Amino acid sequence: MITFFRNLFTPPRHMILLILATWIGITLAEKHAERHGIDKDDISNVTFYSLLGFIIGGRLSFVLQIFPNIIKKPSDIFSINVDLFDPFGAIAAAVLVGMIYSQRRNLSGWNLLDALVPLFSILAISLGLSRLASGTSFGKETDLPWAINLWNAARHPTQIYETLASLLIFGLLWFQKQNPHSGTYFLTFAALTAGAQLIIETFRADTTLIFGILNQNQLIAWVILAVCFLAIELRIRKIQKTD
Amino acid sequence: MTRLQRIILYILILIAGAAWILLSIEPSSSTTAFETTPAPQAGFAPPDFTLKTPTGEEYTLSKLKGSAVLVNLWATWCPPCRAEMPAIQKVYEEYKDQGFIVLAVDMTYQDDPFAVVPFANEYNLNFPILLEETGEVASLYQLRSLPSSYFINRAGIIEEIVIGGPMSETLLRTRVEKILQ
Repeated sequence: MITFFRNLFTPPRHMILLILATWIGITLAEKHAERHGIDKDDISNVTFYSLLGFIIGGRLSFVLQIFPNIIKKPSDIFSINVDLFDPFGAIAAAVLVGMIYSQRRNLSGWNLLDALVPLFSILAISLGLSRLASGTSFGKETDLPWAINLWNAARHPTQIYETLASLLIFGLLWFQKQNPHSGTYFLTFAALTAGAQLIIETFRADTTLIFGILNQNQLIAWVILAVCFLAIELRIRKIQKTD
Repeated sequence: MTRLQRIILYILILIAGAAWILLSIEPSSSTTAFETTPAPQAGFAPPDFTLKTPTGEEYTLSKLKGSAVLVNLWATWCPPCRAEMPAIQKVYEEYKDQGFIVLAVDMTYQDDPFAVVPFANEYNLNFPILLEETGEVASLYQLRSLPSSYFINRAGIIEEIVIGGPMSETLLRTRVEKILQ
């Protein structure tokens, strides 16, 4: 089953999963946008412009980092190579475009983030699946019965752990009917995702260590978790004061 | 839930998280723990092979340790493989004096063996073109798409993989400069 899946979505076809997830996520976000006081059309527009920002920003950021090389063949700026891309630059550009759009339309940033949670959740699920297809973010060797054979060893199926955790988070949040404090819906999603990553990272083999012992991604997840808790508390206090 | 209850809950979760991080420390673990196992994935040693060129010259990948190597798996019938060859040749010319080597492994077992040499002549390719006649290398590299390119650094570790193509000159230069460091 896993081999069939990996063969079906072998790179670069694993990108299909992310594209499909974006489409499903936007559809679900549009469906539930009004629950968070956001118009359906605003969701369509902000995701469209942010996606455009993501693609252009990702390529532009990469091009700036390798400027001396791109000068030798400037037409490569328009190359179809998806590897000529900086994901961090892409995310930064998408966030910036989203912020500009919400400011121009006088939308509450927190409400917009809440409304986009279905998109983020579906993307998190598809990220786990695309990592399974490409074999990246692989687990440590183990003799557990649910180990998968990857890169010549029986390993923890960390990509499946990630997918299941994201599915669980999506399910928990999807059926939450009330959102009395704007922003806390998104912050709960971020806190749950960070918590899940903190646990799953333990079983990953391709980790970066700091001070030779501490897992860098676990530390980042812990900090995000703490920031989310603080932000949730500040949001609740601010809203209660306003009321 | 009252504010005090929430704060206690946050603190308990953060303490549990910190304890989990500390408990999951493995003194023997390191980022290079899996680098000795050969596997076609970034961070691993590449699976070794010995293959011959059409003229009978033999190349063994493990003997090239110390050089930056691009292992490009390709076939003459594959359009993106054909399309990226001029860029590979150009970048090879630019960096070969710095210790960059290209091993272009033709999947001869599923290709026309008589098409390889005319193809190399047509594109003026002067890096080693190796013939894979048994399918063993394809199996070792768990080949699922053509072309597949493996950028191996001087320490003999796969730094980057590019599946599919054609690779642009800029992408090639960027990856090659990284493995030459």
